[in-house]
Amino acid sequence: MFDCGMHMGHHDSQRYPDFARILAAAPGAADFTSAISCLVITHFHLDHIGALPYFTEVCGYSGPVYMTYPTKALAPLMLEDYRKVMVDHRGEEEQYSYEDIQRCMKKVIPVDLKQTIQVDRDLVIRAYYAGHVLGAAMIYAKVGDATMVYTGDYNMTPDRHLGAAQIDRLKLDLLITESTYAKTVRDSKHAREREFLKAVHKCVAGGGKVLIPAFALGRAQELCILLDDYWERMNLKIPIYFSAGLTIQANMYYKMLIGWTSQKIKDSYTVHNPFDFKHVCHFERSFINDPGPCVLFATPGMISGGFSLEVFKRWAPSEKNLVTLPGYCVAGTIGHKLMSGKPTKIDLDKDTHVDVRCQIHQLSFSPHTDSKGIMDLTEFLSPNHVILVHGEKPQMAFLKDRIESELGMSCYYPANNETVSIPTAHNLKINATDKFISSCTTPQARDGLQAPNLICGDHLYGVNGELAEGILLMEKSRAPKILCEDELLQLLGTERHSVQFEPLLSSRIEEAQSAIVDDVASE
Amino acid sequence: MDMDEDLPASEPCPTFTNLASFTGPSASPSSYAGPEVEVRALASMATALYPLARAEGLRGLAAVLEKGNAGNGVAEYCYGCAAELLRDEDEDIRLVAVRLAGICVEKIAMREELSGDADQIDLIFLQLSSMARDMCAKVRIEAFNALAKMQRVSDGVLLQSLSKKMIKTDTGSATGKKISPKLVFPCAAGIFAHGIEDEFYQVRAAACKALGELAKFSNQYAQKALDLLMDMMNDDTEAVRLQTLRTLLDMATYGHLSVQEKHMHMFLGILMDANVIVRNAARKILGLVKLPKLQMFKSALDGLIAGLEKDPEDQEIYGVLFSIGKNHGSFSANIAKHLAKEISMASDGELILDKPRIKALLIVSILAPCSVDKEKELDIPAVIFSHAIPLLGTISCALGEDTQDSLLSHLFHRCGLPFWGKRLVSSDGKDSECFSVETADGTHAQIGKTAMSTNCLDEVVIMQSARLILETVQGAWAMRKSCIIGEVQSTLRTCKEEVNILAVNSSGSAYGFLSFVSDYIDAVQLIVEMWRFVQSENSYAFGSTSQDILLEKFDTSVRRMKCCYVGLHRELEVQVLELALLAILFRLSELAICSELVLDKLHWITNHLDGLCADGSYELSDFSQEVKKSFDANCIDCNPAVNICSFLEIFDLKPATNFGMVNARSAVLKVCDTDTDTENPLSCVRGLPVGVSFDVSLQNIACHDRIWLRMIAGESIQHVFLDLSCFGGDDKVKSCSTVIPFYATPMACSFVLRACLVIECPFGSICDHQEGHGGPRDCVVQLCDELDVYFVSADMSKGGG
Repeated sequence: MFDCGMHMGHHDSQRYPDFARILAAAPGAADFTSAISCLVITHFHLDHIGALPYFTEVCGYSGPVYMTYPTKALAPLMLEDYRKVMVDHRGEEEQYSYEDIQRCMKKVIPVDLKQTIQVDRDLVIRAYYAGHVLGAAMIYAKVGDATMVYTGDYNMTPDRHLGAAQIDRLKLDLLITESTYAKTVRDSKHAREREFLKAVHKCVAGGGKVLIPAFALGRAQELCILLDDYWERMNLKIPIYFSAGLTIQANMYYKMLIGWTSQKIKDSYTVHNPFDFKHVCHFERSFINDPGPCVLFATPGMISGGFSLEVFKRWAPSEKNLVTLPGYCVAGTIGHKLMSGKPTKIDLDKDTHVDVRCQIHQLSFSPHTDSKGIMDLTEFLSPNHVILVHGEKPQMAFLKDRIESELGMSCYYPANNETVSIPTAHNLKINATDKFISSCTTPQARDGLQAPNLICGDHLYGVNGELAEGILLMEKSRAPKILCEDELLQLLGTERHSVQFEPLLSSRIEEAQSAIVDDVASE
Repeated sequence: MDMDEDLPASEPCPTFTNLASFTGPSASPSSYAGPEVEVRALASMATALYPLARAEGLRGLAAVLEKGNAGNGVAEYCYGCAAELLRDEDEDIRLVAVRLAGICVEKIAMREELSGDADQIDLIFLQLSSMARDMCAKVRIEAFNALAKMQRVSDGVLLQSLSKKMIKTDTGSATGKKISPKLVFPCAAGIFAHGIEDEFYQVRAAACKALGELAKFSNQYAQKALDLLMDMMNDDTEAVRLQTLRTLLDMATYGHLSVQEKHMHMFLGILMDANVIVRNAARKILGLVKLPKLQMFKSALDGLIAGLEKDPEDQEIYGVLFSIGKNHGSFSANIAKHLAKEISMASDGELILDKPRIKALLIVSILAPCSVDKEKELDIPAVIFSHAIPLLGTISCALGEDTQDSLLSHLFHRCGLPFWGKRLVSSDGKDSECFSVETADGTHAQIGKTAMSTNCLDEVVIMQSARLILETVQGAWAMRKSCIIGEVQSTLRTCKEEVNILAVNSSGSAYGFLSFVSDYIDAVQLIVEMWRFVQSENSYAFGSTSQDILLEKFDTSVRRMKCCYVGLHRELEVQVLELALLAILFRLSELAICSELVLDKLHWITNHLDGLCADGSYELSDFSQEVKKSFDANCIDCNPAVNICSFLEIFDLKPATNFGMVNARSAVLKVCDTDTDTENPLSCVRGLPVGVSFDVSLQNIACHDRIWLRMIAGESIQHVFLDLSCFGGDDKVKSCSTVIPFYATPMACSFVLRACLVIECPFGSICDHQEGHGGPRDCVVQLCDELDVYFVSADMSKGGG
């Protein structure tokens, strides 16, 4: 099973995956542990990991769980943060406790990039760098001859702190790729960075406050590197705050996990750790009401609740202030409401309304790859089949058409609960008779090149590129075998029959007919 | 699944490695079997099962191609092999394949200059482009390097490589050719957009370089590429920023850089970069581009001026300003108009020419009329040019070329002053006009700053004036037959005065040259004087004495010219020798006796002249030829009948075209420590030798020159030879202070010692003085004015005290 996430839009049991289907798919299995061989988590975002403690601690899965080292380090932070938001702020019933998270994490087996893990007799998995967020991985899995890659979320262009996805060219039967931006092609990030900095600078220069709702990990660090750089260059003295201790803790992890960041950061690390932000100041809750400009990073990213909502309520009514929204917000969150149109009033619940007069800047920084990146990765990997997930239907349909027409691969985008069967190639080991081999090699012998040279890919080449001919013999009990024509005859104990065909031109039909008539007549 | 994965890649069959090494560049000639066989064998190896063997095969092919055996489609064949393996699983092989493809591309581009299937080229471009999205950084670098070598790629394909979005090709329009379906490579789109934001700076630099190379072939592409390059100026790696600048500079040099308004802020930013290399490159680029809008032009100027204000010593900015002004005729005309207004508004004290801004604007303005857009006559106020003259030195220093003359004439011409006029340039007056603005301020610092530029200016003006003066002198000499001698003489006198005026303010080589000219005019004046004697019927009326004096004077001035200047151009040297010849002829005709010595000298001079003219660069003048003929013929019988008149008839002053770097030999003689004059005499004992300590400094005296100190007291003359090896200093200036005894103190209470430094003026090995006094062997020339040293007898001074 790849990933074990949750839906952020739902607040009931719908947010978890329908685990019952696992048992349904494996009729013989008694429980989850026997139904699936392992669980692989690609990265620490809640939509990929949110249900993990529930699955292991509540549903009782006890098989192996794999994730990369940074994911293992950062996942408990994410999960605990979410649990708090869920329980403390919304007053919901606790689905899993802090101890559950701790116990769950103990079961996790960390993996390194490009480390090949033999999960069981058939299954081999390997992780590749995916960009996206710290520790994100793409997973290569091989069961027998069938091979596939599950990308998780990935990014094909490097950003301020993470590199681009990197993978070997593998022969794949199937590629399951995310398609968050199946239709979008983004232009250069330089321009986007400029826009963002301009907006922020304009706001703080006018004495406004900037609210940057962000997930604690990933975007916050990238934006902060960007701002820190800019502050340095422009010699700005306005404070930058991080709202939660969580982010500070996350920064610490980032400092430790330098090896998983981009080449740039790795290069500069020798001189200065880029995650030691010079302009970030200590923050206290009371600062919200302080006058004067500031920049504040607050969680959660989509203003779905928590501290960012609290700050938003205070700051939104002033025209001077600025709220930057992440590139993607789940429907139902305030972020989504702000993005769709320019509302002047937002209803939080029945009684609470917020006047929105502040400026809204939509960040188009996204850790997800765009449609071009998906195409590039697909083209690079050249799998036989592609499945699109993690996207919206119309866009996926568009991308499917492109992949099928431009790359000539069959492509699917199954809806939830839909099953797709992918045919896989099966490799056969074939024995070849000595005679066949020598018949192939005779022309080669002249050049002194040996037999192994001849076999390349799917074809058998003679010296001049012509195909060698042979007969494949498959018998039920024996291993398949390739042999020469003569040998087959020998084996079958029959003689060679030859059938000759003669092309018959229409002009000669009559001639022939008359000849037959004559023959018949003569008989 | 391919079998590769199951086979150990690290153990290729030994056959292949052997073959690979055999086919490498080290192949021995005996086993060489022609490129085709070699290529075939390698190509078949490139399809081998083992990854290392495949890589080795490709490397072998690359080596063969590198050796230069690319003919008969070998390059295409190799490219085919490489293209097959571009998609290999092994990244090493992809790397080698791309590298090989790059070499092939180079060969193909080199060979088919005009022929060749355009689609084929496009296909290669696209194939390589798609490799620029490889997951391996090394492959990407190599792919961009290979792309940089591409030529003749169609515009559509090129433009697509800049934009990630698919550019729609409209089949309807006449120009938009539909890209054939086999050329659809979705991955090749926008590779440069990807390349410039790559994680690895090496890739970014390579992409940047490739952008620049490809921009040479398409204007449209270059424009779009500029947008990308502009963002790269913000790159955090210095290597990438420098590569970007290099690319921009290349583009600007090839004229493919069209800067738009949105790019200006980036340029202005890098103009103020902390790195001096970056700043200079940015300036150079600005100097080459054409800015479409006045606003941009002005902001570029402001950027440059700001740089100038920060670092006024930065000469390069002037050069850039100059070329910017030249490139944007009408804009600079606009600037000039405003500047002229500013100049006329400002009272003398306020406008300081030394302000970087004014300086910069002046420099920008002056070349506007010479700019490229000549459609309309640009009207630049003359005041600009007259104000720009003092900056001449700065500009020509910045340009680093020998354009001073033409620039100056341009400026003079433009401000309506006669520069080549008939009248002599009264440089004095002009100088004051030019510098009035500056000196009006009166600060010494300012003068010091512009000293260099004024020096440059001085020299040019002086050379021009001297040239004119010499022409006038020659004209006057030519008039001696037709005009009244008096008029000729007065012209010569005026010339002399001009030279003296010029010489007052000059120094160095200009001074040397002017004093030479002054001596030259002296000599001509004397000749004219003597010509008058010779011509007049009653020469006896003046008596021989006055003629003697003239002749002596003439001799002296010729000697001065001969001995007191170094660095004379050969042309001048010939003229001096001719004058010397004339002096000897005068002496022969006057004395009417033929002294052996004089004849020897004459022969020495003619031989010397022959020597100077031997290489054919100058012809012997009629005069010297005539002299040579007559004296060669009658040397033996020593016929002294010299008709000076006939010689003078044919003697001619030719206008010299080259002067060379003339430096005067001169000397300064001083008595050490004390100022002696009549009031404060030195003391001595009557009849006993007295030691005088002299400070001697010599200019432009070579070690082999023979310098004497001549001391005269009353009747007695004493020469002391100065050993130059005791002198300190270099070839230009030598100095020494020494105590020199004077033996023949007269038996008097007081006396004046006239001391003077003289230089021997040798005529080869011909000696005048054979008496053996221990004095100079030849005639001497004074190097300095005589110094009077006053002595008073010791007992007298005591008695007086």
